[in-house]
Amino acid sequence: MIIEAKSLHKRYGDVIAVESLDFEVERGRCYGLVGPNGAGKTTTMKMVYCIAEPTSGSLKVFGLDVHDNPRQIKARLGVVPQENNLDPDLSTCQNLRVYARYFGIPKDIAATRCQDLLEFMHLSERADSPVPSLSGGMKRRLILARALMNDPELIILDEPTTGLDPQVRHLIWDRLLELKDRGITLLLTTHYMDEAQKLCDELLIMDEAHSVDVGTPSDLIRGHVHPYVLELRADRARVAEISERFADLEHQVSGQNLYFYGNTTEEFDELYGAYPNIEHLLRPASLEDVFLKLTGREIRQ
Amino acid sequence: MNEGILSVTPYFFKVWVRNAQVFMTLWKFNFLPALAEPLLFIFVMGLGIGSYIKEIEGVPYLDFVTAGILGSAAIMQATFECTYGSFFRMRMQNTFESIISTPVSADEVGLAEVTWGASRGLVNSTLVFLILLAMGIFHRWQVVFLPPLMFLAAFNFAAIALLVTSRIAQMEYFRFYFAGFVLPAQFLCGTFFPVSRFPEALQIFAWIIPFTSYIDISRSLMLDRPARALIPELLWALGTTLIFTELAVRSMHRRLVR
Repeated sequence: MIIEAKSLHKRYGDVIAVESLDFEVERGRCYGLVGPNGAGKTTTMKMVYCIAEPTSGSLKVFGLDVHDNPRQIKARLGVVPQENNLDPDLSTCQNLRVYARYFGIPKDIAATRCQDLLEFMHLSERADSPVPSLSGGMKRRLILARALMNDPELIILDEPTTGLDPQVRHLIWDRLLELKDRGITLLLTTHYMDEAQKLCDELLIMDEAHSVDVGTPSDLIRGHVHPYVLELRADRARVAEISERFADLEHQVSGQNLYFYGNTTEEFDELYGAYPNIEHLLRPASLEDVFLKLTGREIRQ
Repeated sequence: MNEGILSVTPYFFKVWVRNAQVFMTLWKFNFLPALAEPLLFIFVMGLGIGSYIKEIEGVPYLDFVTAGILGSAAIMQATFECTYGSFFRMRMQNTFESIISTPVSADEVGLAEVTWGASRGLVNSTLVFLILLAMGIFHRWQVVFLPPLMFLAAFNFAAIALLVTSRIAQMEYFRFYFAGFVLPAQFLCGTFFPVSRFPEALQIFAWIIPFTSYIDISRSLMLDRPARALIPELLWALGTTLIFTELAVRSMHRRLVR
């Protein structure tokens, strides 16, 4: 087991960030943490890479207790934080080599790895560029390269593709899957359910410091929502009317949208008949529906 | 988790090297402007005002004020580095967070910052020392002890500064620190005239700030006269350095590992 958390708690003053969290991550798996902002995902990750201390409970990484062995644990993992923290005064390559020094990696090995990793992340031409001249996507790739400098067994990725264009997202996904194939364990958070579905073997859905459910993406979809979703869009008065009239069909209301869930498409026939001209979309259920069902469609504070 | 200076391993030096590396890429912005203040002090205080004062405590004013100028160069540079410099690395660039995600600990980052601030104070005051040497101001071989003493003074003030940095939420609080402590230290600790000019209460205040001890010892090395109380002064300098370094390192740990 790479990560083992048992009744993990984290409190900041009066604020409970993580409460009674249990989870296990096996070697070579991609484990995803999803949940609304403020659910406790980043705090959980920070405890795993030892820059936040659990208030209570037990957390072991590589079988080592985070409280007693932070240095040994950190030596064996790589971190892609949510916010870029590259050294703006150093070049692309210098960023990697300075980072390698913190791990005690000898100079010549660091130089070779720097070259290999820049190639791996398609950054070779920018090896000597100052960091501020890099685009957002390049910075993100550089941070991933930096997380790989110490040849880690576990990589922790906090929203690795937020704000990136589709090309860069796909490149990062390809690289992460390649790393997983090499037996590296991944722990990641994301707000993109397509990303979670594509990369993660197992997902932990968090909300308000708690675990809501755990499972593979397909189990979660099967367990929480029907296979088909009919989305309707209308003005608020009409939405209320439809919601009342078809109250026995499972559905959710969100502003001007209605989401009906069904086991077969035939269940929606009566609805079509009653409102033939309404704007609608019939599609298979996705992880996003599970997420919104479990954590609510409304925005919270 | 083990905390404080005793938990620090040689890993801390890697962070010092990182700072030195960045410093060297920006050296022209770092060396020359820092020398402006001490050079102006030599010119204004020593040669300008000094030409009216002639003598103070039996020596030419320029000879008297040199210790203050040299000491100011050390502590001011160290203070700037461990206030605005460290805060910028910590909050604006998140550099510390990236470093403590590696085997380096928060305590090591703290000690590296203090050591780095002290190093900058040493570099700056050594340049001033060489300028003063070239001006022919020194008359005694004992002045060779000045650079190590300036390193200690810079270390002392770097530690106090980092303690403050680790406790504040926003940069604006530094204004209170500079107005309430740094500037009084720079001007009240016997820098430009003897502490004995003050009423007794203010004298005690001045002697509590370790800068007064550093200046008194420096003056005893430059001018042929004993320090007021060499051993207690040295112990006070070393003791406060040690205590504030330990406090700063622990406080930095609490700030970074939350």
